[in-house]
Amino acid sequence: MTVGLQHYVVLSAILFSIGLYGTLGRRNAIVVLMGIELMLNAANISLVAFSRYLTPPALTGQVFALFVIVVAAAEAAVALAIIMTIYRNRRTIEVDKIDLMKW
Amino acid sequence: MNLWLLAPELSLFFTAVVVLLLGLASSRRGIVIGVSLLGVLVSFVFAAFLWSGTPQATFNGMLSVDQFAVFFKFIVLAALVLVILASADYDYKVEQVRAEYFTLILISAVGLMLLSSARELITIYVSLEMSSISLYVLAGFLRDRRSSEAGLKYLLLGSVASATLLYGMSFVYGLTGKTELGQIASAIQSLSLSGLLDNPALLLGLVLVAGGFGFKISSFPFQMWVPDVYEGAPTPITGYLSVASKAAGFAAVMRIFYDAFGAPSWLGQNWGLLFAGLSIATMTVGNIVATAQANIKRMMAYSSIAQAGYIMVGLAAVSMGQSVAPAARSALAFFLASYTLTNMGAFVAIIAFSNKTNSDLIVDYSGMGRRAPLLALGLTLCLVSLLGLPPTAGLIAKVYIFNAAVQQGLLWLVIVAVLNTVVSAYYYLRVVKLMWLGNPVSEEPVPSSAALRTALFLACAGILLLGIVPDLLVRLSETAGHSLL
Amino acid sequence: MPYQLAWFIWTLPVFAFLAITLVLRPFFNHRPHWSAYATITAIGAAFVLSIWALITVLQSPDHLLAVPRIEWAVIDGFTIHLGLLVDSLTAIMLVVVTGVSLLVQIYSQGYMHGDPGYPRYFAWMALFTANMLGLVMADSLLFMYVFWEGVGLCSYLLIGFWFHKKSAADAAKKAFLVTRLGDFGFLAGILTLYFSQNTFDIEALRTAAAAGAIAGTTLTLAAIGIFAGAAGKSAQFPLHTWLPDAMEGPTPVSSLIHAATMVAAGVFLVARMFPVFAYSETALNVVAGIGAFTAIFAASMGLVANDIKRVMAYSTISQLGYMMLALGAGGLAAYASGGSLPIEEAISLGVAVGMFHLFNHAFFKCLLFLGCGSVNHATGTFDMRYMGGLRKYMPFTTLTFVIASLSLAGIWPLSGFWSKDEILVTSWNYIPVWFYVALVTVFMTAFYCFRAVFLTFSGEYRGGEPGAHVAAHSTPGHEQSHMPHESPRVMLVPMGVLAVLSIVSGWINLSGGFSSFLGHSAESEGGWLQTLFGVFTHPLPFISLATAAAGIFLAFAMYNRKWVSATAVGRAFSPIYKVLYNKYWMDELYQGILVKSFLLNGLFRGAQEMDADVVDGVANGIGNTVVGFGKGMRRMETGQLQGYAVAIAVGLVAIMLGLYFWT
Repeated sequence: MTVGLQHYVVLSAILFSIGLYGTLGRRNAIVVLMGIELMLNAANISLVAFSRYLTPPALTGQVFALFVIVVAAAEAAVALAIIMTIYRNRRTIEVDKIDLMKW
Repeated sequence: MNLWLLAPELSLFFTAVVVLLLGLASSRRGIVIGVSLLGVLVSFVFAAFLWSGTPQATFNGMLSVDQFAVFFKFIVLAALVLVILASADYDYKVEQVRAEYFTLILISAVGLMLLSSARELITIYVSLEMSSISLYVLAGFLRDRRSSEAGLKYLLLGSVASATLLYGMSFVYGLTGKTELGQIASAIQSLSLSGLLDNPALLLGLVLVAGGFGFKISSFPFQMWVPDVYEGAPTPITGYLSVASKAAGFAAVMRIFYDAFGAPSWLGQNWGLLFAGLSIATMTVGNIVATAQANIKRMMAYSSIAQAGYIMVGLAAVSMGQSVAPAARSALAFFLASYTLTNMGAFVAIIAFSNKTNSDLIVDYSGMGRRAPLLALGLTLCLVSLLGLPPTAGLIAKVYIFNAAVQQGLLWLVIVAVLNTVVSAYYYLRVVKLMWLGNPVSEEPVPSSAALRTALFLACAGILLLGIVPDLLVRLSETAGHSLL
Repeated sequence: MPYQLAWFIWTLPVFAFLAITLVLRPFFNHRPHWSAYATITAIGAAFVLSIWALITVLQSPDHLLAVPRIEWAVIDGFTIHLGLLVDSLTAIMLVVVTGVSLLVQIYSQGYMHGDPGYPRYFAWMALFTANMLGLVMADSLLFMYVFWEGVGLCSYLLIGFWFHKKSAADAAKKAFLVTRLGDFGFLAGILTLYFSQNTFDIEALRTAAAAGAIAGTTLTLAAIGIFAGAAGKSAQFPLHTWLPDAMEGPTPVSSLIHAATMVAAGVFLVARMFPVFAYSETALNVVAGIGAFTAIFAASMGLVANDIKRVMAYSTISQLGYMMLALGAGGLAAYASGGSLPIEEAISLGVAVGMFHLFNHAFFKCLLFLGCGSVNHATGTFDMRYMGGLRKYMPFTTLTFVIASLSLAGIWPLSGFWSKDEILVTSWNYIPVWFYVALVTVFMTAFYCFRAVFLTFSGEYRGGEPGAHVAAHSTPGHEQSHMPHESPRVMLVPMGVLAVLSIVSGWINLSGGFSSFLGHSAESEGGWLQTLFGVFTHPLPFISLATAAAGIFLAFAMYNRKWVSATAVGRAFSPIYKVLYNKYWMDELYQGILVKSFLLNGLFRGAQEMDADVVDGVANGIGNTVVGFGKGMRRMETGQLQGYAVAIAVGLVAIMLGLYFWT
């Protein structure tokens, strides 16, 4: 079996779904964050795969993925900082307990 | 490549760095705010120069500096001035890190200004994140229970939305092999599709991108973060989120869906219809739930959702007809400008009240007409403008955008929007009534600082000016609407 | 007059309002009189300009003061114009509104003396007048509608001026809600016309209607919609219930509402849009029928009311019915005459007759209310059962009140006679059914009017019971002495001026000048002296005069000489008395059907949670449903961020499926 574009696309779809599941279903804020990172990486995989298979000489997709990685790192840093303050305030990082504001 | 074309953003970014460094030496309020305002002024001057230039693309087509983009830069800068002034009386809560606070505001503004120019997927994504990450921090800046909750909610949901957007973009890229909007458009046309279902990847990419931006512009069903974040975030940031970030989001949506997905015309009509449908849901949900709110920041959050619904009427109108309508783009630009002044003005008044009363409950606004007549008058004017009564900018904005929609055959949508406006009278006027006819909770007057009064005065003067002589801005927004590259 | 000055007629009072709210009230609250001066100066100047405008319009060949329109905003081919339409109709209204308002403001200085809300009162009065002036000058329906709502808002504020009093707050709310019902009709009418003709411009719409461009059902629907708005403002059946309650405001406000501003707006609107009505026989029949019915219906309720202001309120409703009847009958003349009278003629006939009565009515009704205020100022009550004998204490008030009453009753040669006579003649000539109704109303009018005169001014003073009204109306400045006394001169002078006007204002049309100014060339019967006496060459005036005299005599017999005991009559006709006294149970009907079963018990349980005030009131119907929904829907915001993320995901899938199946 040769690995082709569709395998990468399916892989990225699976990864995206796992990430989405983590985001929607897990309670720990850190795990939710990991889910989001998975979703971003799913997008990266498909970007790189499309770039490699569809527009071989140009590296647009790869460059895009690099930017995404940088942005995701910044996002994670900020997220961890905010989760820290949440923890200081309430001694929990269970996202379903963080519902002071509603309705 | 001409760096001058990037001068407004560069100068603002430079200001941000200067403010940050100043913070190491001194974080005196006057200095920090003075430098920030000066930077905004410089950026404004650069933007004004760009306004008179010819529209052109730069950085190999990544950015387009046309009047449409410059118009939105003006909007962001105007919001920036108001938010800086509004923060002047609020930053006692962040005294230790005042310089960082203003730096983050400035950097997010740079991101928003870039976003309004961006016409390439990577640039769009990066500038979007540049503003978003700053705003995540700002939303949680107070580090108390509410603010940090707002920050977390905004960050996690915002990241989900941007991951969605990114995934959508990867399909658009995969389908067309391009990231530059104009090239994407020609690639899509060369696919010679006759319907959206001919290529499910296009459908997937389109919807995911729409969803990512739907979050930014708080469209239904991506609007649910809005009330919680608006309630918890520091009030100046709430105001800023509700106007600048929304305005730039609309500019980007306009550019993406016009530049990349505007042709062939069936495609334009498809997303026009999509936005029309979302617009109805958005404004209805916003207005109806706003009637049941007890906290004024939450009420304003739902109100801003409803306003986003009205703006989406203009978005739908752009491509619903047989041809793309520049009139609808001008209307949208005008509406956002008027909305920026009005909503920021309202939030400035809210800050002034809550500084004294420490409460955001609507009932505590009772009798404010007696305790702080000028503030109450300003807030009344802003609410009346949000409702869209004469002689305010809000009326002209509504007429402008609804008229554009009617001309594109969207009468049904406008009727729904007008009915929605009637509903909105309930909650806007309830506050007005309470302020002027209610009995004051206490007789103590509500003082306000000079900075807040200046901000409120600027906003109100703008509202009245645009309401009485709308031609001033109508001309500008017409130029903007017709200039899109 | 230079056309630019026309703008100042309605903006001057606005400036007064702004000056009071922004400058005088915040900074010079210790000098409340300055507010009064500001309002009086502004309205006085507007009055002078109005006279000038009237002269200019009179002198111009086409009876029009051309005011170039201002392009307010041009939005992609859709232009919003601001413009003024100053024709003969407007010019007359301008003079009436500013003139009456000026006198009322002068009078108010005395009446409101010492009230803590003195500056607020004058601010709102100025705004009220400004809106009314804008309404009569507007050249487009859209523009007019803005002022129309402005008038409604100001009346709400003024009727509820003493808002701490529950009855006043309720009355204000009622006025706002009931007129709002009519406004929905008006708005529907405006939109119907707009979608038919694609313009809001009044002149264009009138021309279009006359040219037959709007016709058939569209025309009838538009006309009836507009009439619904007019009926709300002019308190026509079945939207009349707010006006008697509107008494809760300060008496000068009632005077202004009843004479020149709010209620006149409805009649003015019908007159302004009359071509739209005139080409639809159905609409004309509705106008005339409702007008005539309201005239007799309201007059009958006036027969038994004990509150002197309420008597006057019913009288106003009844007289407004007359005006509507005049308009309708005039328009119907074209159809009844079998074509011998062209519709254009009929239009001008209806407008001339209706407006003439409005013109005369403004003066004598304003005077009657100022008289009520003066009496109240002296006795502290509005209940006629506690008055009596005031003739001795207040000779001037008595004199002016009697003059106004004679005019209202339609006694020759006072002004009311002339316009009422024209209405009777028109209805006699073209729709005789309504003539008899109108004649019965003449009798009733004379009776209730003089019942009030005799109860109040003749006999012995019955002590001015410090009843419910006193608590609210007595203000620090009103020192109640034991015996009533004449009001201060600042109140009497306006009354004197109005008394003179109540006598002579009818004479303008003796030689047909008023009518021909409004485009109706009346058959001239020689000079005015000739007409003044020559009117009796026709039998009709004798009939109406005799009827009025009979009414006055009956009142004299019952309430002055007591030949007939009023209580005995009341007992003999007790069922009728009861029906009238309870105002045909209209309030109970509305309260019962609409409010109780509909709002409270049924659909909108949230009503109880609402505090009773107007903005909530507006929303009471739809509002409570909306708020109910809102309360339910806000539960979707669970505060759970993952819930929101699910909404995003589900939303995306739904949109995809939607597009999949839709396209």
